[in-house]
Amino acid sequence: MNQRETIELLARSEDQISPGISACVGCNVELTLRTCMQVMGPNTIFAIPPGCMGGVGVVGWDKQSGAKIPVFFPLLDNPASMLAGIKMHYDRIGEDVNVVAFAGDGASVDCGFQALSGAAERGDKIIYICYDNEGYMNTGYQRSGSTTKGAWTSTTPVSKDGRGGKKQNKKDMPMIMAMHDLPYMATMSPAFIPDMVTKLEKAKAVKSGLVYLHVYNPCVTGWGFKSDESIELCRLSVETNYAPLFEVENGKFTLNRSLDNPKPLADFIKRFKKFRHLGDEEIAALQELCDSKAERLKNLASL
Amino acid sequence: MKYVSDYIVPIGPEGLKIVNTGAWRTRYPVMDTEKCVKCGMCFMYCPVRAIIRKEDGSYEITFDYCKGCGICARECRVKAIAMENVKEGDE
Ligand SMILES: Cc1ncc(C[n+]2csc(CCOP(=O)(O)OP(=O)(O)O)c2C)c(N)n1
Ligand code: SF4
Ligand code: SF4
Ligand code: SF4
Repeated sequence: MNQRETIELLARSEDQISPGISACVGCNVELTLRTCMQVMGPNTIFAIPPGCMGGVGVVGWDKQSGAKIPVFFPLLDNPASMLAGIKMHYDRIGEDVNVVAFAGDGASVDCGFQALSGAAERGDKIIYICYDNEGYMNTGYQRSGSTTKGAWTSTTPVSKDGRGGKKQNKKDMPMIMAMHDLPYMATMSPAFIPDMVTKLEKAKAVKSGLVYLHVYNPCVTGWGFKSDESIELCRLSVETNYAPLFEVENGKFTLNRSLDNPKPLADFIKRFKKFRHLGDEEIAALQELCDSKAERLKNLASL
Repeated sequence: MKYVSDYIVPIGPEGLKIVNTGAWRTRYPVMDTEKCVKCGMCFMYCPVRAIIRKEDGSYEITFDYCKGCGICARECRVKAIAMENVKEGDE
């Protein structure tokens, strides 16, 4: 879908989320949520586990709903299995509804991983969207399995002389999910909305099995940057290959944007407070990892 | 609690929960319609959906929920949107 068609679709379809939700000023997860649910449309039931998007009021509060479509509030640990049961109910009564999870990386990559992996292996027909802001943001920016190595978080503090930060590499969740032999797996970025909308439409059209969509969402408050830079930094994450846009359809890898001639990763890393203490050596190591992952993706896409 | 719903999951019987996010604004966007080339970038990227497209294909910033993030101004390639400070006494 090109830009004109995307804008047309967004202008003609209804926002399914309450117009006033208390996400931080400039939060690109809010943009992602609105876009995803607008494309999913009114024939959708979704679930948001505890985390920012639940916490900002989308799951409702005191007899009021945060969305125009039904929204569940599962546990941090079970969104996928809960939705699998809901989907089964609708299948049984013969109704075709989109059943969608919108969950943070903490809920997906760590806490709810076994539920998600199980649903993926069984082939439960749900669409699982993970918004990856690289940490447990809603409870105060704790590190997750998806936090990038070196990053400051509230549980990986940094000393005055710049020592500390997360010690381990980021878990490669898109690749892990792709290896579940899904009918469809894709990565997305809020700076590339036409690409996102195309992938959401594809996800809706899948007739059997679990769809996994992974969104890279730098977090204004937890990563430390100005609200108006929100989309620019998402774009830079893709342009530096920090957040490669690709999809895997029944085992076939496709790059949605060339990984050749990326911008230097340092251009991206240096924009955030959470990486401010990193020295040249640490940034070079991140660049090396990023390059090797890009190389692997290119090889997979050439098969 | 009694819910009225056709779904197996209840919808809040008292309607939508809406936070008055417009009150958060410390800056607000002003669009210069002369400069605007109607590309729709500001509309596509506004996280709040505060910018709407009108029937004639032009775009308008609405202020009920705009949080004043400045994304629209930054993403506009022809710099048709400027951010102004909210002053004491502005509504
Ligand atoms: C089992 C369990 N442990 C801890 C919590 C507390 N908790 C609520 S929200 C949250 C953070 C979730 O992080 P993530 O899924 O990454 O979403 P984000 O906050 O980043 O949007 C935590 C730890 C919980 N709800 N359940
Ligand atoms: S903490 Fe980050 S992800 Fe959560 S609402 Fe704020 S900007 Fe969005
Ligand atoms: S981004 Fe700028 S040029 Fe494009 S529609 Fe908005 S104000 Fe007009
Ligand atoms: S300042 Fe932010 S919330 Fe307000 S219209 Fe612009 S993009 Fe939307």
